[in-house]
Amino acid sequence: MAKPGKGTITVTINGSAAMGSEGMTLLELARQSGIEIPTLCHHEELSAIGSCRICVVEVEGARTLVASCHTPIAPGMVIQTHSEKVLAARRMITELLLASHPDSCLVCDKANRCQLRHVATDLEAAQPQVRGRKRCYPIEDVSPYIKRDLSKCVLCRRCVAACREMAGQNVLHMAYRGFNSKVVVDTDRPLDKEVCRDCDICVNVCPTGALSLVEESGSKKKGKPLFIKG
Amino acid sequence: MNMTAKIREIGKQGRGREELLAVLREARESYGCLTPEVIVELAAGLDLPVGEVYGVATFYSFLSTRPKGRNNIRICKSIPCFLKDSQIIIDTVAEAIDIQPGETTADNRFSFELTNCIGACDKAPAMMVNHRVYGGLTPAEIARILAEHK
Ligand code: SF4
Ligand code: FES
Ligand code: FES
Repeated sequence: MAKPGKGTITVTINGSAAMGSEGMTLLELARQSGIEIPTLCHHEELSAIGSCRICVVEVEGARTLVASCHTPIAPGMVIQTHSEKVLAARRMITELLLASHPDSCLVCDKANRCQLRHVATDLEAAQPQVRGRKRCYPIEDVSPYIKRDLSKCVLCRRCVAACREMAGQNVLHMAYRGFNSKVVVDTDRPLDKEVCRDCDICVNVCPTGALSLVEESGSKKKGKPLFIKG
Repeated sequence: MNMTAKIREIGKQGRGREELLAVLREARESYGCLTPEVIVELAAGLDLPVGEVYGVATFYSFLSTRPKGRNNIRICKSIPCFLKDSQIIIDTVAEAIDIQPGETTADNRFSFELTNCIGACDKAPAMMVNHRVYGGLTPAEIARILAEHK
């Protein structure tokens, strides 16, 4: 734990005092204190995105639940990371994501490496209670390297940020709005080798089976079996 | 200064991102709609990625990316208007011009689309024809309003 000093901030997290440095996010402090908060859009090597809201926590005095991945700590904050209210919100968000997600998990190559699945399992999310439309897109496999199955995309925007910040390219962007939102290439054309250098960076950050390597299909281990945390 | 030169100037000064919306609006007025070709050209001039320009253009329903008729009818489909029976207005307009939302009449006189809240909830149900807002609509008024637009 950081030593008290200039720039040290003390907050209360789940009833115990925790110290962090200025500029730290609630999520960073929680992780440093050994508290696990689920995330989907957040990625340590990318700037904050804040689109999925899975990481919400309760901050005393705040009007709403706040996303811990991009909220900086402030002196005297009183934070609950696993209150009933927080868990209910996380579960609802997961169920909403699942409601528009294809039911192809059993045959999906991402299988047990899928972060959406991890989050849903950990939260013991139930069968979605809402009936929504599914977002259906044809699988895009024009590129010899990368396959895009955007029906599985949760619109976390990690790939967009990774392409810009890690790869230094600007191939992927968000387009359209609301239910029709989609990660596009240029004017919504297929990702092919003309526009993409095949650096794999977006594939590695994608939390779901939306992006995968072409060769991967069925050729890699599907990860460890999932265990539900008690 | 013509538009292309102006855009290139903005791009050179590195102000492409801040001027993007204004440029898209102007381009939409002069080209009628923002086709992929127009977007590629604007992006090159503004020195922005094509995807970024396309993303902004497709986010705003007032920046059409598809060709539109001479008059554009937009009926609000958000909840306050819905509660005030906007569906009847939608049906009445659809019947009067014989097309469905998303379509344009064969004579190019009207395009018809549904839009999210246009800020006229106090006058629900509301619609816009081109830049004019019509509120407190009843089916009986539709024919008269449409006749105003040739
Ligand atoms: S393709 Fe993957 S990384 Fe990109 S927005 Fe969708 S889920 Fe996120
Ligand atoms: S992980 Fe914080 S909003 Fe997505
Ligand atoms: S809901 Fe129709 S104008 Fe606001």
